[in-house]
Amino acid sequence: MALFGRRFWQRNAEGEKRSDMSSATQESVLAALGTVQDPELHKDIVTLGMVKDLAVAGGKVSLTVELTTPACPLKDQIKADVERALAPLGVTELALEFGAQVRGSKAGAGTTDLLPSVKNIVLVASGKGGVGKSTVAANLAVALQRHGASVGLLDADIYGPSVPILMGVNEEPGKVEVDDGYKLAPPVAHGVPVMSIGFFLERDQAVIWRGPMLGKALQQLMSDVHWGELDYLVVDMPPGTGDVQITFSQQLKCSGAVLVATPQDVALADVVRAKSMFDKVHIPIVGMVENMSYFVCDGCGKQHEIFSRGGAQRAADSFGVPFLGEIPMVSAIREWGDKGVPILAQEPDSPTGKAFLEAAARLAGQLSVASEAAEGAPGLKIVTT
Amino acid sequence: MAVPVEINHVKAQGIIRITWDDGYSCEYTKEYLRGYCPCALCQGHTAAVEKRFVEVPNVELDVIEPVGNYAIGFRWSDGHVTGIYTFDYLRSLCPRGECEKS
Ligand SMILES: Nc1ncnc2c1ncn2[C@@H]1O[C@H](COP(=O)(O)OP(=O)(O)O)[C@@H](O)[C@H]1O
Ligand SMILES: [Mg+2]
Ligand SMILES: [Zn+2]
Repeated sequence: MALFGRRFWQRNAEGEKRSDMSSATQESVLAALGTVQDPELHKDIVTLGMVKDLAVAGGKVSLTVELTTPACPLKDQIKADVERALAPLGVTELALEFGAQVRGSKAGAGTTDLLPSVKNIVLVASGKGGVGKSTVAANLAVALQRHGASVGLLDADIYGPSVPILMGVNEEPGKVEVDDGYKLAPPVAHGVPVMSIGFFLERDQAVIWRGPMLGKALQQLMSDVHWGELDYLVVDMPPGTGDVQITFSQQLKCSGAVLVATPQDVALADVVRAKSMFDKVHIPIVGMVENMSYFVCDGCGKQHEIFSRGGAQRAADSFGVPFLGEIPMVSAIREWGDKGVPILAQEPDSPTGKAFLEAAARLAGQLSVASEAAEGAPGLKIVTT
Repeated sequence: MAVPVEINHVKAQGIIRITWDDGYSCEYTKEYLRGYCPCALCQGHTAAVEKRFVEVPNVELDVIEPVGNYAIGFRWSDGHVTGIYTFDYLRSLCPRGECEKS
């Protein structure tokens, strides 16, 4: 039947006059849609199973394209490509809707998965502290949520858990009854459930956390929290490389890591060290973000260049990892952050808000790519013979 | 970086055969794998310039478990469990030595 569709397609492509009756059939439409590529996954949308609810009646076609993330940055392109592909079939009315079914991207050999109801776990990391890692993590989480995904935010920075402050969370986690007892219910802020290792420690206790105590707290953080079904869990990691990274790499099935750097420090050894640590534990870097990339002046509103802007882009290129975007340096980020409001929630239409929304969309796109790769990966078979 | 696709514990022969995603396969005896356990107890805390061999005759391999996305843990009959064998390390241990060249 696919051939049948192709024949119509060719005849029309050859410039034959269109008949009054539309040539569109279920088959010819499917065949035409089979020429539309998902720009990120580099496969056609029929093969990828993204075409849903296709109905063809006369010249009227309706369908839903089920994207791999609601934060898909390429909706417009896909829509245009679908229209172009269907044009030769004499379609008079096209009702195209978008849906989204986020796919999981937990790749790799590991079998331990403490969070099976979470589809994608993203570790936000940096070479050192103070680069805006927590700010980026919080805003990316809210941005993914604004794009329509269900998102959680986990603060695992034992040295300076700041997510509750950034998100304006004042309450302690509640308790929720589950099958075999109780779990912790994360408080919700700006539409995002938030859990922090800070809830488990007294103030200023973090620095002395080592060994078994830390292990126990991390274990609680990983397995005792009731997240429910999540498309994305964004994790604010401690800066640098250390026990938390190792524990997470062993206990969670992580989709990938996002490296945050400022233009000044990308060339420094600690960013390279952070990158090679993730390489070592086979967690892919799904993107780099340059924070405080350029300066937006309070007074004149103009952009001012910062020496070495673009450093993260160059580092991403040299690492061979995707670049997700540049976040400007604006005092509103700190001011709103101090008040418990991620800038994106306050000013979604500002250049900064848009920068976060775009970075989140690119991140979601990269995770879709990773899920496609995970599906094709052979996996590890362990047998005794 | 090669990644294992299959680990076959051939009990009768006392060997562990690892097949990698680039087509190579390596065979190790259980004593050999136990002997080159990478943990700090077995190797000491110095950077591993030379691999130290810990002799445990007739040791049995009880459980094979993946660790994260990057390593394998083995549970040995002498109660030893602390070694985390990264894929790279396992590859470098291949007794044939050929794998390392690739
Ligand atoms: N793009 C930015 N513009 C202005 N201030 C920022 C920006 N990013 C972060 N900050 C501020 O810098 C400080 C450190 O940021 P934070 O996210 O806590 O860094 P980290 O988690 O890497 O230690 C905070 O006061 C924060 O408000
Ligand atoms: Mg922080
Ligand atoms: Zn050992």
